Amino acid sequence: MPVALCVTGIFLFSLAGTVFAHSGHNKKPEQPPQVLAPGYQSLNFTAPKAGSYTLPQLGPASDGNILDMQGKSVRLHQFFGDKYLVLSFIYTQCDDVNGCPLATYVSSQVQNRLAAEPLLRDKIRFISMSFDPANDTPAVMRDYAKNFVKKGFDWQFLTSTSESELDPLLAAYGQSILRDVDENGDTTGTISHILRVFLIDTDKQIRNIYNTSFLHPDTVVNDIKTLAMSAASKTTSGLSTPSPEPRLHGAGDYKQGYANKSYVTQAQSLQSRSGHEADLLQVISQTPLGLPAVPVPAENPLSKEKVRLGRQLFYDRRLSHNNTFSCAMCHIPEQGFTSNELATAVGVEGRTVRRNAPTIYNAVYAKRLFHDARETSLEQQIWGPLLAHNEMANPSVGQVISKINQIPDYRQQFEKVFKGQQADIKNVGDALASYQRVLVSANSDFDQWLFGKKNDAMNKDAIAGYRLFVGKAACVSCHLIEENHALFTDHKLHNTGVGYANSMSKVPVVQRVLVAPATWINVDTAAIADSAEVKPGDLGYYEISGLPEDRWKYRTPGLRNIQLTAPYMHDGSISTLEEVVEFYNTGGINNELLDPLLRPLHLSAKEKQQIVAFLSSLTGSNVDSLISDAFAAPVGNTR
Amino acid sequence: MKNILQRLTSTLCASVFGLLAASASFADETCMSPYMAKIVGQEDFIYVWTLGVEGVGDEQDKLVTVDVNPNSKNYGKVINSLSVGGRNEAHHSGLTDDRRYLWAGGLDTSKIFIFNVHSDPAKPRLYKTIDNFVDKSGGVVGPHTTYALPGRMMISGLSNDKDHGGRTALVEYTNGGQYITTHWMPTDENLGGAMKSGQFADGYGYDVRALPRRNVMVTSSFTGWNNYMMDLGKMMGDGEAMKRFGNTVVIWDLHTRKPKKVLDVPGAPLEIRCAWGSQNNYCFTTTALTSKIWLIYEDKMGEWQAKAVADIADASKIPLPVDISISADDNTLWVDTWNDGMARAFDVSDPFSPKEVYTKKIGAQINMISQSWDGSRAYFTSSLLANWDKKKSDSGDVQYFKAYDWDGKELKLKFAIDFVAEKLGLPHQMRFGAYSLYAQKRPQDSDVKVAASP
Repeated sequence: MPVALCVTGIFLFSLAGTVFAHSGHNKKPEQPPQVLAPGYQSLNFTAPKAGSYTLPQLGPASDGNILDMQGKSVRLHQFFGDKYLVLSFIYTQCDDVNGCPLATYVSSQVQNRLAAEPLLRDKIRFISMSFDPANDTPAVMRDYAKNFVKKGFDWQFLTSTSESELDPLLAAYGQSILRDVDENGDTTGTISHILRVFLIDTDKQIRNIYNTSFLHPDTVVNDIKTLAMSAASKTTSGLSTPSPEPRLHGAGDYKQGYANKSYVTQAQSLQSRSGHEADLLQVISQTPLGLPAVPVPAENPLSKEKVRLGRQLFYDRRLSHNNTFSCAMCHIPEQGFTSNELATAVGVEGRTVRRNAPTIYNAVYAKRLFHDARETSLEQQIWGPLLAHNEMANPSVGQVISKINQIPDYRQQFEKVFKGQQADIKNVGDALASYQRVLVSANSDFDQWLFGKKNDAMNKDAIAGYRLFVGKAACVSCHLIEENHALFTDHKLHNTGVGYANSMSKVPVVQRVLVAPATWINVDTAAIADSAEVKPGDLGYYEISGLPEDRWKYRTPGLRNIQLTAPYMHDGSISTLEEVVEFYNTGGINNELLDPLLRPLHLSAKEKQQIVAFLSSLTGSNVDSLISDAFAAPVGNTR
Repeated sequence: MKNILQRLTSTLCASVFGLLAASASFADETCMSPYMAKIVGQEDFIYVWTLGVEGVGDEQDKLVTVDVNPNSKNYGKVINSLSVGGRNEAHHSGLTDDRRYLWAGGLDTSKIFIFNVHSDPAKPRLYKTIDNFVDKSGGVVGPHTTYALPGRMMISGLSNDKDHGGRTALVEYTNGGQYITTHWMPTDENLGGAMKSGQFADGYGYDVRALPRRNVMVTSSFTGWNNYMMDLGKMMGDGEAMKRFGNTVVIWDLHTRKPKKVLDVPGAPLEIRCAWGSQNNYCFTTTALTSKIWLIYEDKMGEWQAKAVADIADASKIPLPVDISISADDNTLWVDTWNDGMARAFDVSDPFSPKEVYTKKIGAQINMISQSWDGSRAYFTSSLLANWDKKKSDSGDVQYFKAYDWDGKELKLKFAIDFVAEKLGLPHQMRFGAYSLYAQKRPQDSDVKVAASP
């Protein structure tokens, strides 16, 4: 037989420590010693101080028909609303010392603790609700109550007319019980159940649920006090100290110096990631210093509403086939509208993307899009990632369109922005392109210095770096700076050897892998070979042109905000600007198609550092404003 | 009247389990909430939360029921398979405190499937699907552990909807599936009152366990969606991705749900298993990348500390310790190393000095282990994550459910089910089921219908 005790509440109070099976109204065989629940003993820790925590609402405490102590049929809620309630479900014949008797014992102890606090005492009602209506009549409950209720306390011992009336109430409280039967299927009178005691506030909300392991008078008393204190503070001012404006740009999960022993986290809280909508159309009337006018196609004029619609689509996770992925999951606003956390992107269901997510900043000026320059306009470009099986994985244009049109909010917006039209293949592109079109960023320290003629806008190292950029290092050969503006790109494609090395290098037998801060291990490549997919090839512009001489050529990216867009190169293979500069200093990676513009630069360490200083001065003045605006966008999670 | 005894004791056990001496001969998986209803005697079923995979059967995630009662004529067979629609990266599952419902999370879509396992334990039904977890929680992605607390479930997230990185939260739901609140993992910017005891407060999450007697909740830290969803080979070669693993274990105040102390445990600490003995105030975890057993323990001053106490296999071979399971007497810790398919028994009678005492290759890869409370039966499944699992192997023994007997010296295979050959998918978390929990008698075998082979 299982552990079984027949004890009355009064008897119980004298128990301490280990108890043994006790023979009561049923003769029971010897039982092994049983350890009493924590509620019978000193709490093994200091109960958290009342008011130092909150007790969230766990849902409404349900109502039902019950019999009060006088046998009158009333609603349970008659006892709710004016006081804090400690509600337990019990039955008087319960013989599990750590079951119903524990609930009753703890309630009794709570009485003791609060006896000297009349104000609080008057705010509490204990309810012991029987789930054994056949035996626990109102008279039985009244009799049972006499053992427990202390003077001045409100403790109701309630029952019900029948199991059929009781069961919905038990179900509503998630109080499952099993009425035990013997081998003949006859009821034994015992009821197996999980002990549940509920703390309920005056709004009839459940605020805590205790079971045998948790139920203790110390914590129950402090929980009651916590509720009382929280109610009192509702009437006082809810002023909170304003927190300082957090830095917006940069990954919130800071990993710089991860390879060093001195690495410390500087992780930002996601709760503080919020923002305000900005006037993004301002860039049309007032192009940031250092940029040419924003090109806007005549057939897709900008409007505030269209940009807002495009923004909503850009951040909407429903735009992927399985609702997990928005454009912004790879083009993350605070991470330079790219991803600082991945060398090469990952798409729906974790599918492999071969290349690094390019930044969206100033994408409007690109004459050709994607690393391999395969697309010519933002309006068309959007369908690439939307339909790629390894990106957002939508099965068809039609499926995307119909999904958007089934969302009432979008239907209304499209009709408004596009003069009565529903979403279609063109206007979805127009809207998304319009948002990306206004993500322009300049007026950097460099722009102020060169175009704004502010001599102190850049520091000496950055100025020296600029001179090297346009001089000895000749970076400007591809990353152009014009007389009145700078896009830092020639819009052409070049072979730097990065792609070549990717395709032609042999897989190393041992890979050096950083597995924790400052902790490298030499991983046996063969050990993970069975888990690794076959790495997809990447031949660059050759995949578009079909011409052998175009192998491993990739588009020259602009350099604005480059400090925010790590890792670098089309495959994200270089982590820092220092390493990028060193890469070009050595003349790239030799191959028969290496661009002749690449050659060893013979830069000194100081010169390399100066170029990095220059590149670091290219961060636009409006990035935080664009990021804040992005944070304000809805993300389309299922509600 | 064994069933009744089992059931009654099971409910009592819910109350006294954490208090009882280890000599009690209860039988159940040892790794669930210490105050949950328990099975005594022989379990009838194992519910296997199984990932759907393209090209296998109906390609959907599903809950697979395996009959594991040797007295059943269906012993060793799949008797039910319930597909839930879509691939959600089925991963972990957990029973509610009353064991009436099984919660099973999807790490990709962040859906949570709640199965009714009490109406007919042989044939779980889908009771409810939570599909707005991300919205309700304020952006938590990847519901991982579903851990029973009284009347509610504590769910540890792995990621977030902002950057698919590792910063995340614990999310609390009622047993009925109503969202309660979100407890964000402590970060440098918002430690939530916790002490950053070392260099790290990364805000990452993975597992959650509780020690009610010490008012302590413990969480560990893995990685975000980007990494757990991507191809393992690609990730190992991505220097940026490899920086995005958790390096922390957090000690929480269980009652207030407030973080108290952030401990440095570098290398992605995963599963947490706390000791059962009433004086054993410690838990084990293993680090996936650095391949170590860590002890998370309360010292003599009442301070919680973390200490690396043993190496697991050869780290350069990326053994990748995954699931662990502590025996009821706190003397043995099973550690499965995914990459080499080994189950390893460590003698942890001195928790500060675990010793590997037994090793057995279970398959080409291995992930989860569930052992009976008396330790005499152990079940293993193979799958870790859809895109980390082995695409090939010389033995072909990649995706399986296997049942073993353990006599303290050797694991003896009782039966195995090839989940790909059976067109089911990739088997992951196992939970035990039994008629006895719900006052039900096991039907005569002739009454039990075996699911048609898919």
